[in-house]
Amino acid sequence: MYLPRFLNLRPSSLDEAVKLLGQNGKNVSLIAGGTELLPRMKYGLCSPEVIISLKGMKISSPQVTDEGMLILDAHMSLTSIIDSPEIYQKAPLLAMAAGKVATREIRNMGTLGGNLCQETRCLYFNQKHTFQFREPCFKRGGKECYFIPKGNKCWAVFMSDLAPALLSLDASINIVGGDGERQMKIDELYTHDPLNPISLKPDEILTTVMISGKPNPSGSGFAKFTMRDAIEFAGVNVGVFLEAENDLCTCKRARITVGAISEAPQRMPAVETSLEGKRLSEKNINVAAQKIAETLKIVPHHGYSKGYLVECLKIQTKTALIDAVNAITGAKQYGRKQNGHKK
Amino acid sequence: MAIKNNKRLLELSINGEMYDLVVECQETLLDVLRNSLGLTGTKEGCGTGECGSCTVLLEGEPVLACLLLAVDCENKRIETIEGQSLEGGMTPVQEAFLEKGAVQCGFCTSGMVMASTALLKGNSDPDEEDVMESLGGHLCRCTGYNKIMEAVLHAAKSYPEKS
Repeated sequence: MYLPRFLNLRPSSLDEAVKLLGQNGKNVSLIAGGTELLPRMKYGLCSPEVIISLKGMKISSPQVTDEGMLILDAHMSLTSIIDSPEIYQKAPLLAMAAGKVATREIRNMGTLGGNLCQETRCLYFNQKHTFQFREPCFKRGGKECYFIPKGNKCWAVFMSDLAPALLSLDASINIVGGDGERQMKIDELYTHDPLNPISLKPDEILTTVMISGKPNPSGSGFAKFTMRDAIEFAGVNVGVFLEAENDLCTCKRARITVGAISEAPQRMPAVETSLEGKRLSEKNINVAAQKIAETLKIVPHHGYSKGYLVECLKIQTKTALIDAVNAITGAKQYGRKQNGHKK
Repeated sequence: MAIKNNKRLLELSINGEMYDLVVECQETLLDVLRNSLGLTGTKEGCGTGECGSCTVLLEGEPVLACLLLAVDCENKRIETIEGQSLEGGMTPVQEAFLEKGAVQCGFCTSGMVMASTALLKGNSDPDEEDVMESLGGHLCRCTGYNKIMEAVLHAAKSYPEKS
């Protein structure tokens, strides 16, 4: 498959990139790893005339500030997230999530920022449209949905694995654009609009991700449901971050985020508060998992029915919560080996 | 808008040799390898990053040539399957694939060999889980996965860097 013609620009600094973005108007796209953009271009879903490559820029390694805040360059590859000792120590949840993304080859290419700023996906959208589904759907600028015709809206889902992890870690992001620099919480990055899922303006670039220090004792768990283990986007994914009291068995603060079942990753504040102050027992975990499955609005997608996803969600939430509790008590530590990569 | 000036002069280092090429911006490394340089050992399966048959090593790490723009590969060390047996013989990984019958139609083999080579370079004593993880992104339509697994584990035993 060949790519449509385009012009590739390679700025060497962030300011230059922002300037180029501003100059080239509408038909321009940023490329970092390219593992998500290029397939879309090959399918003919978008054809930017100018592509601004961020590969010419220097990538800074993860930094830890004096306050224990972890500062990550959005341009670092997913493999370097998994391999980074700082992330392993300060935010294992992010490393766990990165380890679940696609395959080793794609993790070597894909970047943190690219994963967070990916497009929403749909079985009927992410394919070639030369043979079937030729009439454009909402996502291609048309007025119909092949998946749920009566729904009268787009039902594409946002399938990033890193986003739920970062939402659970209360991360913030730094954005550089034509109007200067700004900071926001990561949940503000997502618009909950399947047609335009990312809230960045056309001339803005996501530059850094900041994660505040990990209090002790805490534990995290990440669970992703897929039909097969590798090269799959999630049917549902859950990122859990738990903070415990010093007795290690009472929950002080809980963060649960569910991804891939709607147009943006969703925090579960009601369930989080219901866990807080309670014992981290199997019974309470079961209740929380049940409650999430009951309250969350789930969009069926990629051949998974709603009922099936509800069951999956229950199991995945439970798995992630149990992993988090085990990490707190030290019963089972997240090993780098488990995450599947070289020593 | 007509797209102008989208040709670039590139110097690519492939299998230890330097190539001076003119490529268009939209050409992937795979297009350049196969169409401009005739290095057709690297195969195009899906072209969208789902099958792994176009795997090459970029700075020693496996990447997908179908999703890598050629213009981004300048000043980087690229290794393809053709570079694996420069002295005429085969590498231990290739020997093992042959010995264990891990090659059926052979279309996925070059990608599998490249990924296994990268795995064994970083980890000379992998277990089944490591192999599965490393080859997770490689599809074999002949479904000869068991033999491939055996071959990689066998290659690990005879890998030269193991001391």
